[in-house]
Amino acid sequence: MANDGEHQATSRPIIGTTDSRSEERIDPILAALDPDRERPEHVICSQSLTLSFGQKRILDSITIEFRRGSITALIGPTGCGKTTFLRTLNRMNDKIPGFRYSGDVTLEGESIWGPSQDLLDLRRRVGMLFQRPNPFPMSIRDNVVAGVKAHRIAKGKQLDVLAEERLRQVGLWEAVKDRLNDSPFRLSGGQQQLLCLARALAVGPEVLLLDEPTSALDPISTEYIEQLLRQLTPALTLIIVTHNLGQARRISHNTMFLYEGELVEHGPTEDVFERSREERTQVYVTGRMG
Amino acid sequence: MATIDRAATGKPVAARHEPASLATALRRCAAFLRRNEPHLWTWGGRTAALVPLVALTLTVLVLTLKAWPAIKVNGAHFLVGSDWKPGNTYGATVHTDGVAHPLGSSYGAWPLIAGTLQSSVIAIVIAVPVSVGTAFALTERIPRWLAEILRSAIEILAGVPSVLIGLWGALTLGPLLANDVYPVIADHMPDIPVFSYFRGPTYHGEGLLTSGIVLALMIVPIIASTTRNLFAQVPPLPKEGGEALGMTDWEVGRRITIPWVRSGIIGATMLGLGRALGETIAVAMVSGSLLNTIAPNIYGTMGTIAAALVTQLDSAFTDGTGFEVRTLAELAVVLVGVLLVVNMLGRLIIRRTGHLDAPAGQGY
Ligand SMILES: Nc1ncnc2c1ncn2[C@@H]1O[C@H](COP(=O)(O)OP(=O)(O)OP(=O)(O)O)[C@@H](O)[C@H]1O
Ligand SMILES: [Mg+2]
Repeated sequence: MANDGEHQATSRPIIGTTDSRSEERIDPILAALDPDRERPEHVICSQSLTLSFGQKRILDSITIEFRRGSITALIGPTGCGKTTFLRTLNRMNDKIPGFRYSGDVTLEGESIWGPSQDLLDLRRRVGMLFQRPNPFPMSIRDNVVAGVKAHRIAKGKQLDVLAEERLRQVGLWEAVKDRLNDSPFRLSGGQQQLLCLARALAVGPEVLLLDEPTSALDPISTEYIEQLLRQLTPALTLIIVTHNLGQARRISHNTMFLYEGELVEHGPTEDVFERSREERTQVYVTGRMG
Repeated sequence: MATIDRAATGKPVAARHEPASLATALRRCAAFLRRNEPHLWTWGGRTAALVPLVALTLTVLVLTLKAWPAIKVNGAHFLVGSDWKPGNTYGATVHTDGVAHPLGSSYGAWPLIAGTLQSSVIAIVIAVPVSVGTAFALTERIPRWLAEILRSAIEILAGVPSVLIGLWGALTLGPLLANDVYPVIADHMPDIPVFSYFRGPTYHGEGLLTSGIVLALMIVPIIASTTRNLFAQVPPLPKEGGEALGMTDWEVGRRITIPWVRSGIIGATMLGLGRALGETIAVAMVSGSLLNTIAPNIYGTMGTIAAALVTQLDSAFTDGTGFEVRTLAELAVVLVGVLLVVNMLGRLIIRRTGHLDAPAGQGY
């Protein structure tokens, strides 16, 4: 399911692609077969989400929807709550002392805090890539299939097949195929981050949350990962926090601008950058603010 | 000025000049030390590093010298034989290879060696999971204040003299286990290899399993507190990565936190094992302190090297030829040997599993 995005992604323009995308994407016969046909157009919806840690309010009534198969860039000055918002979406904040929220976040129309929502499965469906690579202390192969084992998606020989498939998908296979049983800590930073991406993809997520995934990497690795991320759509829905405005413009369809916990503006990336409706957005995207 | 020079060159100084010249000498001395500070650190460090090694070598050397006649006479039988006969210490003295010993004396320490290894292995099998579980609870699961209480409880347990634990084991724990716990286990174990070792008579509470449990109690604090400190140093990012992947707390612990500090836990286990192998008085009190019997099942009475050393020393002095004391010295050499072998095994394990270890100080 992640693979069917690859050939399409290369054939369509990335920058500035907006609403027309879903129409041009699939011919009618395929559309009839599209498993997404019956599902809501928006994978994740945040409805007046207000969040605080103790007395401190971090997010203030955020309402936004993330369209299936899109890449959304989340930008804003440091400390504005980008990471907090992202981590809320797969409930990584729940355990933080003093965590309180009002409003709601839905995944496929169902509240992520709902009673029938299985937390572990939610995290399988909403994967995450961190600011710095965080491989586990196990072999490279075991790293890729760690989540697969935890969710009992596959076992035995299937694991090897799956590991190879995912490592190929992120373009790491050639580099590591002779040392699958070695430590991941001797890989370069960029390779480690690709390994973490392969690991996140292996459990078959629907949404991928990325918190400044390339900020610790060199420009070449960064460009490579950006290209990979584009290929992941439209099979996956991506939300990416970035301080790199160029990156936001290069890879995202939509952009949301957070300022002090408030969602100031959101919309198609081109509009946000070229025709900002808000003064604060304009100041930020033209580099005159933090 | 003259007095200063004389003080510095170490020549005798007139009594009435002493205060001034002593101060000057000290000052000179301090200046010398300051000038050579880097060398002092280097050499001080080297000396300090050598102290334990030298001490160990000397101890082993002295013991071996003392034991040498016994080593010659007892031969390989000492390691594989199963008898402990001081012979007739009031009777005739005979000579073997020029070494005097009582008539009929014969020593084979295999039951003691086996008992030492068995009781320590049982202790480790019990203590490691308990310690790692405790450490895990202390760092991850329970409220801060409760963790503080538990932590200090462990530290206090670490400080309880082993004679008290031994006494408690002999008077309370042993009888309790023998009355209420062992019979239940013995009755429910299937009669197949390994498990059949848990069947049979359960005796009165003095024996192998009781020794193992008492030893476990004594080494849990060592392993738990070390492991707790190790866990506290595991960076949050890999753990969060596991959580974000949908792993349960248990899976994060088993697959990420524990492997992250794998070598450290093995090291702590070796520390505990060393303590268990050498523990003396508590084992002497709860094992039955036999000299020539291997426990027939896991409840059976037995003895260990360390316990035998402490219980036999008194009577050994009654051996006029001094041979029994020399044999005890040989026993001590064997204990050091066991400790060294175990230590090397530990290093081997660390080396074998270490290639997947997280780099020390991985910055997150
Ligand atoms: N665990 C926490 N407990 C209390 N406050 C927190 C916690 N985590 C974050 N905050 C606060 O929430 C606010 C938003 O933090 P957040 O990490 O979301 O910012 P950010 O936009 O990701 O910043 P950056 O661009 O620097 O990563 C900050 O003021 C921060 O101090
Ligand atoms: Mg952040």
